Amino acid sequence: MYLNRVHRTFPKLKKLVTRPQSQAVLPEQNEYTDTPEYPPILDMSLQGKKLRERQELHKKIQAINTVEEKQIALNMPRYYGWKCILFNEDKVPYNAMPLVQYYTRSHFIPVDKLPEYYKETSEAADAVVQEIKGLIEEAILIENGGVDRKFITSTKKKEQPQLEDALAKCIVKQINRIISNNLADKVEHVLSSQVDYDPRHEAFWFIGGVDTPINVVRWRQQYGKLKDRWYESIDRPIQYLGSPLLTVRNRLPLKPILPFEEAVNPEFKVPKFTAEPQACGYSTEHRHGTNIPGFWPGDFDEFGLVSYHGRGHILGRRESFGPEDHIEALHCQAMKASFGWLLAQANYQGFTTFNDVTYPLVTQTVITNGQLWSLYAYQLNTIELHRDKVDSPKSNICFGTKPLKLYDSIENGKVQGLNEDVLKMIVQFYLNAPEERDHEMKPYLGEEEQVVADIEDDNKRCWLENRYKHLVSNRPKHYLLPEVYLWERVFKIQFNSRFFEAKRRPFELGINPYTRRLDQHLPPYIPKVLRPYPKSRKKFETTYYPKV
Amino acid sequence: MSTRWYPIYQKGNPQLRVFLPNFWMKIVQPQAKQLPNVVQFHCSMEMTKFDIKNYLEKIYHIPVVDVRTKIAIGKFRRDVGKGYVIKDDDVKTAYVVLPKDMKFEYPDIFANKKDDAEEEQKALGDAKKNFQDYLDRNKHRTDVPSWFTI
Repeated sequence: MYLNRVHRTFPKLKKLVTRPQSQAVLPEQNEYTDTPEYPPILDMSLQGKKLRERQELHKKIQAINTVEEKQIALNMPRYYGWKCILFNEDKVPYNAMPLVQYYTRSHFIPVDKLPEYYKETSEAADAVVQEIKGLIEEAILIENGGVDRKFITSTKKKEQPQLEDALAKCIVKQINRIISNNLADKVEHVLSSQVDYDPRHEAFWFIGGVDTPINVVRWRQQYGKLKDRWYESIDRPIQYLGSPLLTVRNRLPLKPILPFEEAVNPEFKVPKFTAEPQACGYSTEHRHGTNIPGFWPGDFDEFGLVSYHGRGHILGRRESFGPEDHIEALHCQAMKASFGWLLAQANYQGFTTFNDVTYPLVTQTVITNGQLWSLYAYQLNTIELHRDKVDSPKSNICFGTKPLKLYDSIENGKVQGLNEDVLKMIVQFYLNAPEERDHEMKPYLGEEEQVVADIEDDNKRCWLENRYKHLVSNRPKHYLLPEVYLWERVFKIQFNSRFFEAKRRPFELGINPYTRRLDQHLPPYIPKVLRPYPKSRKKFETTYYPKV
Repeated sequence: MSTRWYPIYQKGNPQLRVFLPNFWMKIVQPQAKQLPNVVQFHCSMEMTKFDIKNYLEKIYHIPVVDVRTKIAIGKFRRDVGKGYVIKDDDVKTAYVVLPKDMKFEYPDIFANKKDDAEEEQKALGDAKKNFQDYLDRNKHRTDVPSWFTI
């Protein structure tokens, strides 16, 4: 079109030139069909519309190709991050078990021995235990008294728990080394597995069905129209933060403990816990949601086998909580850690908190201080816990033992009463071989592009990589966060005593800065010298935020 | 603990004075829903978590598992008459966690309030009706004082 060339220089020209009337070409067709075709009947109430909006968002996230883009998409609605309930691995308040069970939808089954699932490795484990028993005793002795070491502790946490975790880490490293060395030539998967020390485990999800916070109710009460929606539940974002002592992961996933159909078994139904998390002792923090299972997307060994966690935080709990609650706290820690790790792994397979897993994932968790060992096996069946899925019958399943003593004491330079049953269970965790699954592992990822590194466009790939890493680093913003100062709250919001002043602050203009979207910022400016030759009007660099 | 000064002894003063402590606690109705084993108190600003725990354990023999406290800012309001903004005192709130098998329910203090209000309304209605009857009875002799009647 000749217009394309000149209409920029002479903008009014476009209006002057009359266009010929355009008409769509109508193919000859009969507008009647044999059977009547009706449009779908939609719920046009406000709730119905909002539900459709949410479902559309979930579909959009499902359709995104790469793992990293999905993670950015989860964070798109909040520039300053979500107000997350913090699920620290090592902070368990009193009586937290019902809350943790509901928030991770975990049915807990207390056991004394490992479930039937481990029966086939029983004999092999017995033989291995006899071989490594001496080495384990020696390692325990050396780590407990043979080395004169000085652990560096941080002043931010209590000292005793840190020391216990540091010692536990040394013992766990040794035991992992001994068992792996022994099994390396016996079973195939041990040699090919990767071992991580102090990995970064983070997981992010939404939970529905919790009581609406009082400030949200008060906000809604300003508007008469919303009267029937005052107490309508909202999604609460949850962030799990954990740091295991050591993890082992493999290219293949472990086989399910129970068949996937068992997930809807009403026996495993988890009771609802609707009280606010603050009522239980949990706190909130503004941060971007992150899903990190200890490695970056694109790593080949992306399924966990075993993770070891410290139990030092039990020493930091109050004595008045009592020994029973301490054991429950260990169960809580195991459920949080197992669910958190598996959720992050599931995210790397392309599932998110809005798109449920299509197959179960399994992990094995050990909580220890070197002497006391609690063992857990966890099967993840569902990660979709948001408000539209409150009544979903699916639940996750956790088998767990009480803390068991690996040995009674150390006397006269000898380990007294080494418990071979406990050692056998640990060996069985290693003997549990991962298997290739005969179904699609990544149904919601692209065929060619599964991670950002697969993208061919250099600009897009680099931009997305940088944005993703910066987002999940959760570094503080350069500018201070928006704030309503107390004097403003008193003299501008509550009492209109400065009505003569110009209204410039966000709250005076009816803007909530915390609802700003992630892409609501000016992209980096391109200086004129750097713009492409000969003439480019593009002042700002392109951004590649996922369109959700 | 009391913050009162012990006065300098003057002849004739009592030999021993006992001052009551500043510490006080009152149970309040929680705004947000709490767990059944959590009780919410307002307490003296000087009390620490340990003070609260000891107060309940030593005086009332209540088993306390955990205490969480927060200080809430006082309300701002316009002074009646003067018109300027004044602020109420801050409040220290304590959430006391009891063992998980215990249960506390905030009592319904004003359960009888409705009945009382109804009775009052009834009495008022009766009084109004009697007065109306009196007016009706005397409508033909409006200039006669009320005491001049049978």
